Amino acid sequence: MIPEGQSEVEATVRAVLRDVLGLSETRAAAFDAATPLFGALPELDSMAVAGVLTELEDRLGIVIEDDEVDGDMLETFGALTQFAAHKALT
Amino acid sequence: MIDHYDWAGGREAMLRFGPDHGPVVVLAMPLFEEANRMRSLATTLLRLLADEGIGGALPDLPGAGESEKSLEEDSLSTWQVSFSSAVCAATSGRSGHVAGLRGGCLVTGSAAARSRWLMSPVGGEAIVRDLVRARQAADREAGAVFDPGTIDLDGPPIELAGHVLPRQLLRSLRTAEPDVAAPCRVIRLDSDRRPADRHIAGAPLWRQSEPGDDPALAATLAADLAQWVRQCAG
Repeated sequence: MIPEGQSEVEATVRAVLRDVLGLSETRAAAFDAATPLFGALPELDSMAVAGVLTELEDRLGIVIEDDEVDGDMLETFGALTQFAAHKALT
Repeated sequence: MIDHYDWAGGREAMLRFGPDHGPVVVLAMPLFEEANRMRSLATTLLRLLADEGIGGALPDLPGAGESEKSLEEDSLSTWQVSFSSAVCAATSGRSGHVAGLRGGCLVTGSAAARSRWLMSPVGGEAIVRDLVRARQAADREAGAVFDPGTIDLDGPPIELAGHVLPRQLLRSLRTAEPDVAAPCRVIRLDSDRRPADRHIAGAPLWRQSEPGDDPALAATLAADLAQWVRQCAG
């Protein structure tokens, strides 16, 4: 099923972070747009970044090019969701 | 029980589970880091299968697990040949079935077995992509840039995600597709919408940085695999 709206993309991004980083349901549910990710979450190391991106691709049916991956898109939960929504919905 | 198997290139360890007669499932572990993350699930799955009266074997591939061989010597065909030898050693007259987790489905190809059962099979290209991504993310932190085109050039092994890998292995992996020789059953997680015979609930343990376990998932998988083996034995 291809996510149709922004909120569905956000739920997918949240679930991917929870599953890949092994976060508790409570912790993942508390993420908001301003929650810092890369550099702030100890679980999000370079291996985990690879896992997050690949899992997002699989679940959203998108392809993320190497040159699209930078510090900005991983800076906050909001930025990552925006990036994913832009790829999945346009 | 810790057993072993011999193959053309040496001897590797193989864990054995359950009865020493009747059907036996030989399980191919995922490749690289994913093997560590799923080892607990794999052993729980084979123990539960043993409770159902079905034998199990979990061979180490050369360069993986307890193997003393260096990964730098491996190629995909080495893994296929060694897995095939493990299946021969584990079955010897018994009805043999092959199960593969994730990238393990890339090494089962030449194995003689009555059936195949695959969990979340993945193509080699996606595996290499993951490894390259981890290297790129690490390099970015260090202010460097890794060019994946390096893999296509001849040269020394490349370090990706903590593994020193021969370029030939990476090139052969990139074109490798899961072995789905019939009869074959494919299981995927609910979150993975690619085609499968069954989708089940659960989190992708192979992506988690800390090795975890999921007893509920292991139980569902074991029940499914046990039923499949009985169905194919008939």
